[in-house]
Amino acid sequence: MIEVIDLVKHYRASDGSVVRAVDGVSLAVAPGEMVGLLGANGAGKTTTLRVLATLLKPTSGTARVGGCDVQNDPLGARRQLGYVSATTGVPDRLSAREIMRSYGRLHGLSEGLLVQRIDDLVRALGLTDFADRPTGRLSSGQRQRVSLARALIHDPPAIVLDEPTNALDVVGARDLLHLLDSLRGEGRAILLSTHRLHEIEHRCDRFVIIHGGRVVAEGTPAEILRAHASLEAAFFAAIGQTDVPVGVPGMPGERHHA
Amino acid sequence: MSDPHSKQADRSWRSTDISSTLAVTGFQLRRMLSRQRLLLAGLGVIFPAAVMLAVRRTVPAGLDRDLAVTMIYALVPEAVCMLGLLVTMCPAVADELERGTWIHVSVRPGGRRALLVGTYLAAVIWTSTVAILAAALAVFVAGVRQPWPLIGMLMVLVVLSSLGRGALFALPAVILPRRALVASVGVALVVEYLAGFIPAVVNQATVSLRLRSLLVSWMNWRRQLPVEMQLLIDPQPAWVQVTAVFTLAAVLLVAAVKILEYRQFPPSTEI
Repeated sequence: MIEVIDLVKHYRASDGSVVRAVDGVSLAVAPGEMVGLLGANGAGKTTTLRVLATLLKPTSGTARVGGCDVQNDPLGARRQLGYVSATTGVPDRLSAREIMRSYGRLHGLSEGLLVQRIDDLVRALGLTDFADRPTGRLSSGQRQRVSLARALIHDPPAIVLDEPTNALDVVGARDLLHLLDSLRGEGRAILLSTHRLHEIEHRCDRFVIIHGGRVVAEGTPAEILRAHASLEAAFFAAIGQTDVPVGVPGMPGERHHA
Repeated sequence: MSDPHSKQADRSWRSTDISSTLAVTGFQLRRMLSRQRLLLAGLGVIFPAAVMLAVRRTVPAGLDRDLAVTMIYALVPEAVCMLGLLVTMCPAVADELERGTWIHVSVRPGGRRALLVGTYLAAVIWTSTVAILAAALAVFVAGVRQPWPLIGMLMVLVVLSSLGRGALFALPAVILPRRALVASVGVALVVEYLAGFIPAVVNQATVSLRLRSLLVSWMNWRRQLPVEMQLLIDPQPAWVQVTAVFTLAAVLLVAAVKILEYRQFPPSTEI
């Protein structure tokens, strides 16, 4: 459903130098699968996701959503993708219903279908209590749910989320991840970028770790965790920083010593 | 979950484009109904009338019609429209581009085009509404004879001013979103009020020349104008002036849409 093949994206920085933000990344997400894209700030996660969302053009390589190439058929790719970012960008004065209605019209959904879809999303995402309240009066977690509802208004089979739990507290993050579990259960392909490793350690079907614009490790949780006590430890090993301090016992990052 | 292709197969791209643009227009108009914007609109409506009232009180015999029309023209299709568009068009586009909403619009089919054109239409509707109310109130306060034909003429000038200048401000909004307001003020001063008053080819591409020429033509002032003032108007018929404004607006909007469609917005953490 989501395919990235040997993706390269270079930028020209303001000082004239070339920045290799993504340098040959390949990954795939099948329907009904949740893949965690892990990396530190500046690793190339957001650039990869923005290429998939047709917000950036690749320097070379291929990115496809639902079989539609993001360069040759960006409209097709956009129809099949829901995009959620850390900054929700929901207007304070509008309610969740108004926002969903506006974005549904951007997809050309008919009025009848739109009303049905909004009602379904309000129920499925637990927005009932605040769907008609201006989003400026909602908590960060509630605003992120509205953002997710906006991304799902056109019923996309693929969802890309760029650090969606960044602004959320523990409860908000847990609720959002529960929702993603149920969306995966509906058969959607989910690509989730984050650097809050403990949140997704037991949720994703596979992990892709990128560093310096390249894939440095990938596999199922069992494969990734085979040689490490935690996802955090595996992550640091993959990016070549094994001299991390020993974690507090019982906490993510704890390393076992013989 | 269903196949989005099949859902939308019966809807042509043209109708989807129109509905997307209208969705953004409605969305922006609802955002413009904030308390601050309504207060600003109220000030925009009252200000020209207040000026005309103050001037009228200094002339007990009543204002000369031509002087009143000149003043209302300067206050409404020029000042109110310019200020109205500055506070609606530039900040709205710049906000969308810089604050994160644009990402969510841009990932929709035709989203970038809909974002710009929809915001432009909202700015034109908001500004024209305020300016038409301001013109009508100013005409009545000025006590001008035969007010209705004058209001009709001012309505046309207001709409043309909003259409042309809204498109003019779209360019700085997409090229320099972080300095959109400053850049637009610069464009207004340099293009409209400097180039617009240079009697050369350069002023042919300004809205101010077209509006002035229409005013002079519709008020039958041309023969009364001194020769040096006639250099500041275009003698061609009204339909040419109107066509010129529409053409200018279309060219500027297409340029702004193309810039927006090709523009890339890399994440700041990765460059």
